[in-house]
Amino acid sequence: MITPQEEYSLIDKILAGDRQQYSILVDGYKSYAFTIAFKILGNRPEAEEAAQDAFIKAFQYLKNFNRQAKFSTWLYRIVFNTAISYKRKSKQTFQSIENTIIEYSDRADKQMERDDKQLYVGKAMDSLNEADRLAIQLFYIKEFSMEEVAETMGQTMNTLKVRIHRARLRLADELKKILKEEALTL
Amino acid sequence: MNKLSQEKEELLLRYLDSELDKDERHQLETELQTSEVLQNRLDELKAVNLFLLQKASLESPSKNFTQKVMSGLDAKLTSSFSPRQGLLLLLGTIVASGIALALLSAGVFDAPTVPLVVDAPLKNNWFNFPSFSIPFNGKILINGILILNLGLALILLDRTILKPIFQKRVSAGL
Repeated sequence: MITPQEEYSLIDKILAGDRQQYSILVDGYKSYAFTIAFKILGNRPEAEEAAQDAFIKAFQYLKNFNRQAKFSTWLYRIVFNTAISYKRKSKQTFQSIENTIIEYSDRADKQMERDDKQLYVGKAMDSLNEADRLAIQLFYIKEFSMEEVAETMGQTMNTLKVRIHRARLRLADELKKILKEEALTL
Repeated sequence: MNKLSQEKEELLLRYLDSELDKDERHQLETELQTSEVLQNRLDELKAVNLFLLQKASLESPSKNFTQKVMSGLDAKLTSSFSPRQGLLLLLGTIVASGIALALLSAGVFDAPTVPLVVDAPLKNNWFNFPSFSIPFNGKILINGILILNLGLALILLDRTILKPIFQKRVSAGL
């Protein structure tokens, strides 16, 4: 991980004309940027394009970067806005990545029951609004701090906390509902 | 139907996040042993927590991600003109439109329609085409050029001034 001081020194070099140094920043943050774009777009090729576009925008506006803030937060905000505009453009329905197929193999009943529950939580994710879903997905990634998630999404910490609590309770409610429906169909 | 209060649900979430102090935790654990509703809700929240934790990892982009970004920087640089060039072009368009407008208002193009006489090139013993003329009105032509200039000026204004301003605002998170 690059320290803030190293980042500022890299930025100075880039602004002085050594553009190749930008690849160090891209390498350092590409997974974070891609993850944010992926959580918003739910589609790898599009997320990759949006993340790349965001890095290019960040490069173009690097001279406007206010050094009182962290570079990462500033970059994540650009990624967030770029991915949102991609999403608006494509007008695609948001496909939650949590709906990926869970592979089954020979397991004990207990394990199977737990996995079924996981599958149902995945279904329940669809009931959340996009902002709540994104907030909860980013919050659980340990590499993102709560402050970073709040700043990336342009929200206050309190709003974010409320969003996350609400989303978890809503997911639990949905899970209960789905389990009840499943029990009725048996 | 037994519905938990909001406070109790908040307490369960804080319990899962290990945010309760020793006394609060002890009290809740005692309650959990006696309340099936509370225990069920905790199980549901635990399932949610487990699911989200399992899915919570950074995603990796393609191997040539950085390379693509770096070549994207070059493409952007070569495909667009600088703001200074754009401004100069915008200024030139405005000046040209201004001159054309001044000439128009001075009445330079007010002369009646001038016919463009075209002599028939194949005038011989076999073909005898008559000469013909096309009416030409300079005012219409200048008006057309003015409209085109206006359109060009608007595009330049958008590309060189408005678009960069809005992009800057978006990037700054405003």
